[in-house]
Amino acid sequence: MLFNSHFFIFVFLPIVCLGYHLLNKAKFHEFAKIWLIGGSLYFYSYFNISYLPLIVLSVLTNYMLVKGMMRGQKFWFIPGLVFNIGLLCYFKYMNFFLENFSVVTGVDFNLTKIIFPLGISFYTLQQIAYLVDVYQDVVEEEKKLVDYAVYVTFFPCLISGPIAHYDLVLPQFQELKNKVFNSKNFSLGIYLFCLGLFKKVIIADSLSPFVNESYENPANLHLITAWATSLGYTLQLYFDFSGYTDMAIGIAKMFNISIPQNFNSPLRAANINDFWSRWHMTLTSFIKGYIYTPIIRSMPKPTFKNSMIAMFIAMTIAGIWHGPAWTFVLYGMVHGLAIVIHHNWKKKKKKLPYLVGWFITFNFVNLGLVLFRAPNLKAAGEVIAGMVGLQGVQLPKMGIGFFESASGLGCEVWSLYDK
Amino acid sequence: MSKADVMNKLATIMQELFENSSLVVTEETSGDDVDEWDSLTHISLIDSIEKQFKVKFGLGELMKLKNVGQMADLIIKKTA
Repeated sequence: MLFNSHFFIFVFLPIVCLGYHLLNKAKFHEFAKIWLIGGSLYFYSYFNISYLPLIVLSVLTNYMLVKGMMRGQKFWFIPGLVFNIGLLCYFKYMNFFLENFSVVTGVDFNLTKIIFPLGISFYTLQQIAYLVDVYQDVVEEEKKLVDYAVYVTFFPCLISGPIAHYDLVLPQFQELKNKVFNSKNFSLGIYLFCLGLFKKVIIADSLSPFVNESYENPANLHLITAWATSLGYTLQLYFDFSGYTDMAIGIAKMFNISIPQNFNSPLRAANINDFWSRWHMTLTSFIKGYIYTPIIRSMPKPTFKNSMIAMFIAMTIAGIWHGPAWTFVLYGMVHGLAIVIHHNWKKKKKKLPYLVGWFITFNFVNLGLVLFRAPNLKAAGEVIAGMVGLQGVQLPKMGIGFFESASGLGCEVWSLYDK
Repeated sequence: MSKADVMNKLATIMQELFENSSLVVTEETSGDDVDEWDSLTHISLIDSIEKQFKVKFGLGELMKLKNVGQMADLIIKKTA
């Protein structure tokens, strides 16, 4: 059930929203939350009913482990981490791991396709953050199962984030003022939803057919079409992802819940650090807070070199979190390297003019997204080869016509591949 | 410890770490205000604070700290 589907907009959302507000108005606050949990689980199962037992298992297990930890049984922390990371690894990365193992060892597994449940990357990270905080005595009060579940399963964030830290969102479900229908919030929610819908359906979805076609035959891309493809995808991804996030934030607002921002004009970033503070902001926060920080704090001394190593590792992890493919690993590593380079450049204290910094950053990001989108490394290589002119140049038909009429001569076009 | 005491001690730690004895530190001071305060020096800062105040910060707590004032509040809470 995508946000931009008729069923979601005209059936699911109105029913869940209306039910939630009516139940709250009648002062059945706990039932309102249960209604919302039910709606979120229905939303999740709509994609595939076999996802349902997984999320229920994940939420209940984490809740029980956390409860045990808050009563002094801290030893549940490691099993908890293993459970969450294990679940994520099994469903998301097992096929990838087995395929590569097969390639290296020649052992052939009868690979039954393991189903990849949507959203598991998001609700797993949210719960890991909570698990860690409980272990480190950061969480003061035990939460009720209803409150914990309504937070983790909250359907606006379930499939594509933002990765809402429990501290920011869970308390909002408990506040009395949020149980009163608020027309300002509701209309703001509708506005944001429409904004996001436009970004996704009109802009992103218009770009995607061309981009998809290009990535299916990347060897056919020449200089102009390769650049059009890479720029097209960068814009498509930005409008799709930020649009979807806008819709998520808007939907949450209809329930009086404020979820964190995830994008802040990232394509205007002046440097790669700036970029990551504007793109998928909640992921950056999570990586910085729960991956980079523990890595560097576990090292003997927080030297510059150690910090660079920690950042590189953290970004590589961020890369592979996106999906089970070498392109994602490389994407993470390349961004990790860029951040390391940026920090080294910063040491020189020579500030570049904004336009120069922006130009370098934007092109780097654009190139990185070729890796992100390409179905495999070979395709990525072909797109990049096209971008640097190794796959020829063809003037668009319009251009040829112009030259022919302007010069009175024919126009010869050089290309390595016949199209 | 009073907040003023904590703020003074934090100012001293920061002046030493950022090698700037004239650094002015207020409750609103954050990484945006001080050039030398980045994700790397932040870790050194946290290490120094933990050692000098004899406290331990959790990852979730570190994530939320936006300025020196909030650091001071957290330290007071942990040393109470």
